[in-house]
Amino acid sequence: MLIMAGPVGETVHDGGPHPERPARITAVLQGIGDLRLGTDLVTVDPLPASRADLARVHSERYLDELEAFAQRGGGSLDPDTYVTPSSWDAACDAAGAGLAAVHALRERGEGVGFAVARPPGHHAERGRGMGFCLVNNVAVTAASLLAEGERVLVVDWDVHHGNGTQEIFWDEPDLLYVSTHQWPLYPGTGRPQEVGGEGAIGSTVNVPVPPGATGDVLRLALDEVAAPAVGAFRPDWVLVSCGFDAHRADPLAELALSSADFADLARAVAEFAPGPGRTVLFLEGGYDMTAVRRSTAATVAALLGDLASPEQPTFGGPGADAVRAVAGLRERAMAEVHDRTDGGSLDAPVTGPAGAPSERRPW
Amino acid sequence: MTRRADAAAVPTAIAVGYDGSPDAAAALRWAAALATRTGAELRVVHAVGLLEHAGMAGGPARDAALAVAAEAGADEARVTWRRVDGEPASVLVREAEDGADLLVVGSRGFWAHPGVLGSTSLELAERAPVPVVIVPRREQP
Repeated sequence: MLIMAGPVGETVHDGGPHPERPARITAVLQGIGDLRLGTDLVTVDPLPASRADLARVHSERYLDELEAFAQRGGGSLDPDTYVTPSSWDAACDAAGAGLAAVHALRERGEGVGFAVARPPGHHAERGRGMGFCLVNNVAVTAASLLAEGERVLVVDWDVHHGNGTQEIFWDEPDLLYVSTHQWPLYPGTGRPQEVGGEGAIGSTVNVPVPPGATGDVLRLALDEVAAPAVGAFRPDWVLVSCGFDAHRADPLAELALSSADFADLARAVAEFAPGPGRTVLFLEGGYDMTAVRRSTAATVAALLGDLASPEQPTFGGPGADAVRAVAGLRERAMAEVHDRTDGGSLDAPVTGPAGAPSERRPW
Repeated sequence: MTRRADAAAVPTAIAVGYDGSPDAAAALRWAAALATRTGAELRVVHAVGLLEHAGMAGGPARDAALAVAAEAGADEARVTWRRVDGEPASVLVREAEDGADLLVVGSRGFWAHPGVLGSTSLELAERAPVPVVIVPRREQP
């Protein structure tokens, strides 16, 4: 069963000729529609996230500024990020979608949630919006779960690193953040040596891959780097920053995945969940409408146990060696900590490629 | 305690953020003048955003930036132009990790943050591992 929270942003927060546009939601809805789920599709209408929900992950000052900026008519936060008069309400609604999905999953005890909402969120930091993102949607839901004592895994397979999510939870040991992303690329964060802050070292896992990387490389990252970390972490919830801009047709980046690869990634991530009704997708990037539609269908179908992709999985691109290097790096660091503390687990400090220990937020 | 906070007062490598804005040009002039006086390497660094990476937005021209540096007296042989994918503050922090011992930015870029300072200068003030100079638009070296 798919529990769709939304749609949010199909008609609002429209910046005109900009890749982050309302048609992205239409493409997602078409992808879900292609599956003809019938009674296996449940739609919930989200409430806007409350100020208290938002303030768990954003500063009061930023929230005040963003709301006022939108009320004044908006403009540009940076060369990439626009704000319109409708953006504040859209951002609050989008942030509420994940909360609604979690609520519905808890009531039913089964299914997969999907916050079909924009603007996207994973670049939004505690004190600023950027990279098309205003409010960090996945972070709002994660923080709500953390406040209830749950342990949260965030898997971010968007082609760009989720600097905002990483920053917000940098010092949070009960949240494991795993990101695969193209490197080099905006926002310029997400190196392997970025591993988490004091008291949460090891709870950030970054696996950068080079342009041209194919689906098998990202799957390797999940299997060889993420899986051991997740196994030690044992999450209660799995939230997925589900961008589709790693698709080979996407105009904003240069990875080479097909829609079938997203299905493969989804199957891998589903294995991380502790049971049914504990996985929620959050729409992040994805700017080729056909790719978004196909990838949505493939991803959702995979999570529901079906196959639905007209494309084949991709293999043979560069990056496998880089992924194995990250895996080895992490394994050695974990062993070092185990030796030092006679403990192990996620409290392991991971050193960078040059051997430099993680000090403070290094981005 | 920032990394290299005890470094010599005379910089050896200066990285200046440049987005083509008047404030960035003022910062570049200031940095170029300092580099000229000290003999430091001058890196003119442009951070490439999402849209510019995809060719959906333009960025500042290399030649125009280098001309600003030359007008301020910088030695052409000691000036490099770097165009790096990333958010500006992160890109400049990486320059510091790559040996720059002074970062220079304008107080505001083209894209005004709703707050008081431009977001890049604000971020660098919090995160840079080396000293940061924020140059107001009217500042003259």
